[in-house]
Amino acid sequence: MNRDIRITLFTVFALALCILLQSTLLNRIAIRGVRPDLALIVLIFVSMRRGSMVGQVSGFAAGIFEDLMNVSPLGFHSLLRTLIGYLYGIFAGNVFIDPFLMPMVLTVIATILKGLLAGIISAIFNIASSGFITFTGRLWIEVAYNGVLAPFLFALLGLFRIFKQADKEAT
Amino acid sequence: MPGLFEGFVARHRKGVTLAALIIVSLAFLLVSNRAVVIKPKEVGLSFVGFFQKGFTGFFKWFGDTAGSIRQLNAAREELDAARAKVQEMDRVTRDIVELRRQNAMLRKQLDFSQTLPPDRIACEVIARDSDNLFSTITINKGSRQGVRPGMPVVAYQGDMEGLVGKVFSVGPGASEVLPLYDPQCLVSARLDSTRDEGLVKGEGKDHGTVLLQYVKKTAKDAIQYGDLVVTSGLGGVYPKGINLGRVRDIRALAYETSLEIEVEPIINFDRLEYVFLIDAESALGASGTPGAAGTRGAQGASAQ
Repeated sequence: MNRDIRITLFTVFALALCILLQSTLLNRIAIRGVRPDLALIVLIFVSMRRGSMVGQVSGFAAGIFEDLMNVSPLGFHSLLRTLIGYLYGIFAGNVFIDPFLMPMVLTVIATILKGLLAGIISAIFNIASSGFITFTGRLWIEVAYNGVLAPFLFALLGLFRIFKQADKEAT
Repeated sequence: MPGLFEGFVARHRKGVTLAALIIVSLAFLLVSNRAVVIKPKEVGLSFVGFFQKGFTGFFKWFGDTAGSIRQLNAAREELDAARAKVQEMDRVTRDIVELRRQNAMLRKQLDFSQTLPPDRIACEVIARDSDNLFSTITINKGSRQGVRPGMPVVAYQGDMEGLVGKVFSVGPGASEVLPLYDPQCLVSARLDSTRDEGLVKGEGKDHGTVLLQYVKKTAKDAIQYGDLVVTSGLGGVYPKGINLGRVRDIRALAYETSLEIEVEPIINFDRLEYVFLIDAESALGASGTPGAAGTRGAQGASAQ
C-alpha cells in the first residue's frame, strides 16, 4: 500500500479517536464548557509533516465523521478541516518546528482560523451554531487551551515513526 | 483533448483534490441544510454582516468592561442592603417550610392521585458535542426504548425539576438532545408570578443565561428579580408548568415594544448526568387535554 494512503488512514483513525474523546472524556476537563480540539492539533501536526494531500483528505474524512455524530449539518466540519489541512500542508517542510513555541503559534492561528471560517460558513449558510459566535469568550478559551496542549501533543505524535517528515518533493 | 485534461489533473493533483473536496462539502451543506441562503445579495449581506457583528461585539466588550467596574461599586452598596433583607428572609423561609409540611399532609388526606407524573424514560448522558461550535447532548436511549423526536427532556437538581431541552434526533440506541441554551431551542414560557407570556430563546452559552422575549413592557414593574419562569404549554411541545429558570436581569430597550429578560436556567448543564424524557403523547392520551397533562407534570415536579 502507498505510504501516503497508509498515513492518511492512520491519521483518520487518530482524528476519529480524538473526536470521540472530545465528546466524552474531555468534558471532565472542560473550562466553562469549552473543550480542547485535539483533532485540530493532530491535523496541524500531520499536515505540517506530510503535506497538503494527506492533510486535506484526512481532514475531510474526519470532518464527515464529526458531522455524522453531531448536530452540525453534513459538510460543515468536513469543509473546515479540509481547508485547514490544505492550508497548513502548504508549509510542510518549509517551517522549522521547535518543540515548544511553533506548535503553540501554529495551533493558536489554526483555532482562530477555525472560528473565523466557522463564522463565515454559519453566516452564509444560515446555520445557528451556539459555540463561538466568533470573537466571544468561548473562542479565546479554546485558543488558549489548544495552545497550551499543542507542544505536548506534538511531542507525543513525534514519537510515531509513521509521521516522519516528508521529503521536500513529496509535499 | 483527454490527454490535455489528464495532464492538467496530474500537474495540479493537490489543487484538483482540494476543489473536489470543497465541492463535495458544499454539496452536502446545501442538501443537509434546508435554511441555506441562495440569493447572491443575501449571501453578500450575511458575509458582511458576520464581520459587522464581530466588530460590534469587540467594541461592546470594552464598553461592558468599563460598565462592570461601575456596577461593582453599586453592587457593594446593594450587598449591605441585601444582608439586611436576608435576615428577614430567614424568618419567611421558616414559615414556608411549615406551610409545605402542612400542604403535603393535606394532599395525602385528599388522596391526590392525579399528581402522579406522566410516563418518563430515565436516560444517562453519554456524550456531548465534540466541537465547541454546537451544543448537543447525547443520551443512551433511542427508538428501541420508545424515544421520539421532539420529546421534552427534564432533570432534577437540588430539589427542583428543570427543563433541559428536547430530543432532536433519534437513533436506534442513542438520541441527541437540543439543550435549552442552544439558539435553535425555542420554548413558549410564562412568568409564574405575573402569568405574562413570552418566548425563551437560547443564547448559545451553556454557562450563561437564556433570553425571555416578547413580554409586554407594561409588565416591567410587576416582574421581580428571582421570579420563576415556567413553560406555558402553548405549542404542544412542552407540558405546562416545567421550571425553566429565574429572572436575572430585565431590559426595556427603547426601540423594542417588549421586554428582554435574562433568565438563569434552573439546570446546571455541566453537572448533568441523568435526564428524564417526558412521554407527552401517552400523558395526553391518558388525560385527553394538554393542560391536564401539563398540570400533572408540574404538580408531579413540585411534589418531588
